Amino acid sequence: MRIGVKPVQALLCAIPLLLGNSAATVERGVDAETGLRSWEWREAGVVLRLVQRLPDQTRAFFQARGFSDAAADRIADACIFQTVFRNESERPLSYSLDDWRVLHGGERGTLVTRERWDAAWQEGEASQAARIALRWSLLPTRQRFEPGDYNWGMSGFGLPPGSVFDLELVVRLGDEHMTRTVGGIECAPDREGI
Amino acid sequence: MRRLLVAALLMLSALPAAAQQAGTGLTRLDDAPPAPDFSLLDMDGAVYRLSDYRGRVVIVNFWATWCPPCREEMPSMQRAWEQLQAEGIVMLGINVGEDEDTIFQFTADYPVDFPLPMDRDSAVTGLWPVRGLPTTFVVDPAGRLVYQAIGSREWDDPALLDLVRALR
Repeated sequence: MRIGVKPVQALLCAIPLLLGNSAATVERGVDAETGLRSWEWREAGVVLRLVQRLPDQTRAFFQARGFSDAAADRIADACIFQTVFRNESERPLSYSLDDWRVLHGGERGTLVTRERWDAAWQEGEASQAARIALRWSLLPTRQRFEPGDYNWGMSGFGLPPGSVFDLELVVRLGDEHMTRTVGGIECAPDREGI
Repeated sequence: MRRLLVAALLMLSALPAAAQQAGTGLTRLDDAPPAPDFSLLDMDGAVYRLSDYRGRVVIVNFWATWCPPCREEMPSMQRAWEQLQAEGIVMLGINVGEDEDTIFQFTADYPVDFPLPMDRDSAVTGLWPVRGLPTTFVVDPAGRLVYQAIGSREWDDPALLDLVRALR
């Protein structure tokens, strides 16, 4: 192993797949150290990377920020991914998660965005500080990236642990409206190992 | 306990290093809107008002301790600050939604000298055009938002610092 390369990076196993558009690729990976799976869609300089988060991982994160056990469970069981969205193109990139669809079991669902979480809490279930932490740790619902910009954030797909779904994503790159489907994304199972 | 340890390990290793590369450049905001003023305390009780810095260039960074790219850019922000402070340029790292203890513990691992005002209820952050963390703005001496960067940057990049210095 080369000095300076983290083990998690060196052990990453990736399988490139082609979408319908020949310029687009989806790279599926399995982290050999953690077992977490990832999906990276890349097209025309737009990169969306989804990495599984185990429910335990998400539960611990939000319990540490003031959510009750029950509230942290609700978030943890909502199929949460760590998300990196980058604009490596030369054009502005914009999106609204409200336009994206979660295709599962013949249904077209929506992502669980900041606004949906804000509306979901019952009184006493989550402190103001906890809600602030959740709001800012989620991928922004709407964003405009200039070239070179990117965000990290969690994204919630509202499905039970272990579910498999297709993601229909919609972005605008410059004047181009792009709708693409990334298939076979797997919510992390609700157990320690994968 | 074991479940928590596993979770902690996964938090640290959930994304490969390749996904952590910094963004590039600064975006010029052509309409240069006025920067919303604020008055915020840091963990030592010192008050920071943006309007106190009128006439100077101010770099305003919004961040949180749990945000990986925010942590990633802190060392380069410190290096940039070491170059810029003697030139009269101000750097403020506004923490979003956390308390003194959390920030104090963070600075043990990420020692920085520039001020870290706290926006405990994120009310100030909500007044600025911030949608995700980190987001950084460069405010010109007239108090206008001139540049924006969404995502982390290598803040001691000479090309980037030249843009900031040119606003003086």
